[in-house]
Amino acid sequence: MPEMTYSQAINEALREEMRRDDKVFIMGEDVGIFGGCFGVTTGMIDEFGPERVLDTPISETAIMGSAVGAAAAGLRPVPEIMFMDFLAVCLDELVNQAAKMRYMFGGKAKVPLTLRTVLGAGLGAAAQHSQSLEAWICHVPGLKVVMPSTAADAKGLLKSAIRDDNPVVFLEHKMMYAMSGEVPDGDYTIPLGKAEIKRAGKDVTIVATSLMVHKALAAAETLAAEGIEAEVIDPRTLVPFDKETLFQSVEKTGRLVIVHEAVKTGGFGGEIAAMVAEECFDMLDAPIKRVAAPSTPIPFASNLESAFIPNEEKIIEAVKAIL
Amino acid sequence: MSVGIIANPASGKDIRRLVAHATVFDNQEKVNLVRRILIGLQAVGVRNVWFMPDYFGFYDRALEVFTGENSLQMDTRLLDMRINADQEDSQRAATLMLEKGVRCILVLGGDGTNRVVAKGCGEIPLMPLSTGTNNVFPTMVEGTVAGLAAGLVATGAVERENALKRAKKFSIWVNGQERDIALIDAVVLTEQFVASRAIWDVEKIRQVLVTRSEPFHIGVAAIAGSLCRIGPEEAQGLNIVMNRAGEQPQIRVTAAVGPGLMQDVSIADYQTILPGQRIPIVETPCVIAVDGEREITLETEDEAEIELSMEGPWVVDFKQTLSQAVAKGLFRK
Amino acid sequence: MALDKEEMLELYRKMCLIREFEETVSKFFSQGQIPGFVHLYIGEEAVATGVCANLVKQDFIASTHRGHGHGIARGASINKMMAEIFGKVDGYCKGKGGSMHIADVELGFLGANGIVGAGLPLAAGAAFANKYLNNNGVSVCFFGDGASNRATFHEALNLASIWKLPVVFVNENNMYGISMSQERHQNITDIADRAVAYGIPGVSIDGNDVMAVYEATAEAVKRARAGAGPTLIECKTYRHHGHFEGDPTVYRSEDEVNQWKKKDPIPRFGARLLEMKIMTQDEIAAIADEVKREIEEAVAFAQRSPVPAVEELLTDVYCD
Repeated sequence: MPEMTYSQAINEALREEMRRDDKVFIMGEDVGIFGGCFGVTTGMIDEFGPERVLDTPISETAIMGSAVGAAAAGLRPVPEIMFMDFLAVCLDELVNQAAKMRYMFGGKAKVPLTLRTVLGAGLGAAAQHSQSLEAWICHVPGLKVVMPSTAADAKGLLKSAIRDDNPVVFLEHKMMYAMSGEVPDGDYTIPLGKAEIKRAGKDVTIVATSLMVHKALAAAETLAAEGIEAEVIDPRTLVPFDKETLFQSVEKTGRLVIVHEAVKTGGFGGEIAAMVAEECFDMLDAPIKRVAAPSTPIPFASNLESAFIPNEEKIIEAVKAIL
Repeated sequence: MSVGIIANPASGKDIRRLVAHATVFDNQEKVNLVRRILIGLQAVGVRNVWFMPDYFGFYDRALEVFTGENSLQMDTRLLDMRINADQEDSQRAATLMLEKGVRCILVLGGDGTNRVVAKGCGEIPLMPLSTGTNNVFPTMVEGTVAGLAAGLVATGAVERENALKRAKKFSIWVNGQERDIALIDAVVLTEQFVASRAIWDVEKIRQVLVTRSEPFHIGVAAIAGSLCRIGPEEAQGLNIVMNRAGEQPQIRVTAAVGPGLMQDVSIADYQTILPGQRIPIVETPCVIAVDGEREITLETEDEAEIELSMEGPWVVDFKQTLSQAVAKGLFRK
Repeated sequence: MALDKEEMLELYRKMCLIREFEETVSKFFSQGQIPGFVHLYIGEEAVATGVCANLVKQDFIASTHRGHGHGIARGASINKMMAEIFGKVDGYCKGKGGSMHIADVELGFLGANGIVGAGLPLAAGAAFANKYLNNNGVSVCFFGDGASNRATFHEALNLASIWKLPVVFVNENNMYGISMSQERHQNITDIADRAVAYGIPGVSIDGNDVMAVYEATAEAVKRARAGAGPTLIECKTYRHHGHFEGDPTVYRSEDEVNQWKKKDPIPRFGARLLEMKIMTQDEIAAIADEVKREIEEAVAFAQRSPVPAVEELLTDVYCD
């Protein structure tokens, strides 16, 4: 299996889908000649031309809104919003238009678009370019939400997202673009709604999303040295959510720690905790723990930003608190 | 010593922005034009200005900058009249200005606006400023300059005989009654609706009558302009009858029938017409467009005639007026 | 471009059909038989009718919260529309959308919309799809004077202008954004002026003259199909009813409403057709009877239709 970066895997998925289906096109700020703010769409304009790789003005509302219109009219747009924070500028188009069109129209419309956007702190990009706002999106029925943590997952899930007839929000973590991993060859997809056990263990279940999967894995290694075997689960898609894999793990371990980079208040971790509490309360041997960012805007200064982002130590501490 | 200002907020936005290459003349630019006019008027001693009220509110908007040390030393007032946001507003405003004794009316609009004002202004001279790209009657004139010229006429500093020219006009007679007037042209169209008013499809033109004909005219009048020259003060006009489809044309000309719209036109016949002569229109049912706007719809049984008159509105010749003023030393301090 | 007799009668009939539909909705709403909000198009019929008469199969329209007229003009089934407004399962959206979400994507009707100004980028996107698929289709977006203050208006016109999208932006300037008169909600009176900012043609026309609307749209659609890009058409019009049914309309005078009723597009066009002898008084009466009957049938259809089964609550959230 070839090694490639998370960024290259996304690029390859986009190219393969665009070669497979000429109704697929990408659009967004600086995605064309510039190759994307993080270089993810580098070279695509050379292969597909400006008709299918569209540089847009800085107009998030127009990007999202026209993507919805184009999708309803029969195309499969893959718009990019440069930073997830900017979704606040075009939430109506995502939340009131894309998400609801099918339901509002009594099942007689399809909005097959895949919105790619970028979340996460760690670059010193501060309060308006670093947030993890996945909980906002998960709260809206009609949208699917994907958060891949590896190059292989990114490729397989993006291809599925583009082929899905629903609006899908595909969330890439900016600190993972340069991470490399093995990616299967060929036309390879991962179904939406399928979690993956990234590390098997018997003592505690750690559910982590996006970049936090890697921190959870690192924590698990440290814990293993102390004889604690943590099972690390990456849901990969938050909507639809793979409860089965999670519940099986909790049944085995009896303990659950949830890790996400988003702020704790109203975060998706609360939803996961509630699912387990409602449906697997009897399996639990200890209270559920959440490791998440404090409920503050994201600070700029490096030391403050580091303090904001959940880390290995906090995960280990949470695990030990419930053992 | 008062003057009137009639500014048409609707001019400069008709369908010729779409079917030709006309420009949207936005109302903020007209506001600036009115401000420049006021400065010009004030500079030559005009003390009273009457405004036509309109749906856009040129009066308030133009005056809002003249506060504090920039306050105008003149009395500006709005006519007390109801506005319907249609062309009759301009006609009634002109009539009210006539009653108020204004000595000159500045008109911001196109041929159509001036036509309507001319129906109400009597002998008061007009200073027409073009706010569009498709006009013959009003000229492109800088607002300050227009204000100066209008003011010189209104105050009597330059005598009427040295400042004014009299325009011609057409009377449109329908079934023996005078229905409307035109200042520049009356066009008979094989059309049944006024709809978006403008004319751009020459295929529908059956007859063109013009009060003047110059090679530099734009619009349907340019068809006449491409045939022969009749000056604005010459005691004649021109009647042109177009070919019907399939007829052998006597003459073919190419003319700028709209801004950026050159069209070939096939003409069956044309002849000069004289004041007082009533020219029957050649086809009904039809629509008659006056000064570029479809206005009068006629049915098969209707009869219409068009008569040239030398007694159209008085118009300020701003170049001559200002030259006279300079000759009199009026601008010397 | 000239319309024949049948086409002119059809314009008249369509306006009458919209009027009758809306008056009927008004009646049943006041009787408490229709839930939610309804925003009626009475007085503005010439705009939708004149515009949609220029459209063909592959074209799209995006509508507004005041969308019944747009749907009818585009050729939507009045039975299904009425049933939807009554919240019934045979409605366009199985009763799940209601007045503000009636849509028929197959018909090129991208839906009414509960969000003011939301249709503008949707229409730009549909126009992009037409251009991308090279199918010579255009899209039309209806929107009000209030919507012309929203970011969607500015972003969509900008995008459409740089991409030369085949879209016609049809502004229905009915002089009010809910209770705010135009002079209170924007510093201009002619929304066509805003075209200048995007380097596209902007024209202002009498929106109560169906032939003026037809003619201007014909030219704008021709331009769009030829690849020359978008146009902004401002149609000056007026809603006879309030913003929504039940609106006490304390923000406008009865005198103003009466002035506008004198410019009612339907009797105005009818009078012209009589003058032209294209239509007789008898035909006018026959059209009135015919649309009345059609609307009565639509109401009967809606009333007959069952409410959606409770299981419908959970369907259609996602495609399978």
